[in-house]
Amino acid sequence: MGLIERTPLPELQPVKFILNWGRRYSLWVMNFGLACCAIEFIAASTSKHDFIRFGVIPFAHGPRQADLLVVAGTLTDKMAPALKRVYDQMPDPKYVISFGSCSNCGGPYWDSYSVTKGVDQIVPVDVYVPGCPPRPEALLHGIVKLQQKIANEDIKEKWSGKLTTPAATS
Amino acid sequence: MASSRRPLPPPEVESRLRAQFGDDVLAFEDQFGHAVVTVVRERYREMAMFLRDEPEIACDFCDFTGGVDVGDRGFEVVSHLYSTTHNHNVRIKVPLEREDPVCPTISDVFPTANWHERETSEMFGIRFQGHPQPVKLLLPEPFEGHPLRKDFPLMSREAKPWPGAVEGEEEEEEG
Repeated sequence: MGLIERTPLPELQPVKFILNWGRRYSLWVMNFGLACCAIEFIAASTSKHDFIRFGVIPFAHGPRQADLLVVAGTLTDKMAPALKRVYDQMPDPKYVISFGSCSNCGGPYWDSYSVTKGVDQIVPVDVYVPGCPPRPEALLHGIVKLQQKIANEDIKEKWSGKLTTPAATS
Repeated sequence: MASSRRPLPPPEVESRLRAQFGDDVLAFEDQFGHAVVTVVRERYREMAMFLRDEPEIACDFCDFTGGVDVGDRGFEVVSHLYSTTHNHNVRIKVPLEREDPVCPTISDVFPTANWHERETSEMFGIRFQGHPQPVKLLLPEPFEGHPLRKDFPLMSREAKPWPGAVEGEEEEEEG
């Protein structure tokens, strides 16, 4: 039981606003780069598009320091356990952006024998960014969408970890 | 070294191979300046060693070893050899039967062939006799089947046919 669970503070609108405001503008991001989409992610992090201005910090030393996981690229069945492991190492509250057609649904590899058709089979995804690969602007849009989502969150529920426990997949 | 670079034209390669291997050379082609020789399985290793050790051919590098599914005719193992001293290419094709295809390894002749043979093995189900480590290379361990065989079923396509077929084109997948 942490402070959040024990106090009624997060229920209060101003406190909820301040907490969520702080959280959404300091998203330490872990780039799970698997293919060409990772290059677009890198482009989004550099000076022209510069997602650090949105408070997305691409310097997480590892999954244990990260709040946001961006799965950028083609996830294969052989790589899937590694993605699950990285996700499980991240502390709550955590978010996942599925970046690009391959990680959304398999993309051009929809009939492949080795590609996982959608990373949402492995980890719960908050925002899907379509494109093959999506432009850096699309990632910025996805990040803004995620920040809107965080702003409206009930932090108590999010911090409980119940939401990020992946549902059983068939 | 530059002065000793003398690419051997494919007809020259052919005459040397035919002199050495006789009727075991099943076919010979000149494909865009590359010598392409088809040889019986029993003399595949011998030919690889011959191409490596013959000073005028001196193919000292194996570019790749792969497989081809040629349908009813079975499979082919294709090894692409290259000479860094003479700057010419020789490809060896080995026809194999469809049921339980077995091919001798050349991984001790050319170390590059080691991983390529492992990949060919998992993708086509071709056994390489004498391979020092006959396990999967790229596919996950529990994977079943050989995905580059033409008859490998793609589950997604069972549910929804490939949408890219051109009008009037025969659908070969259904067979």
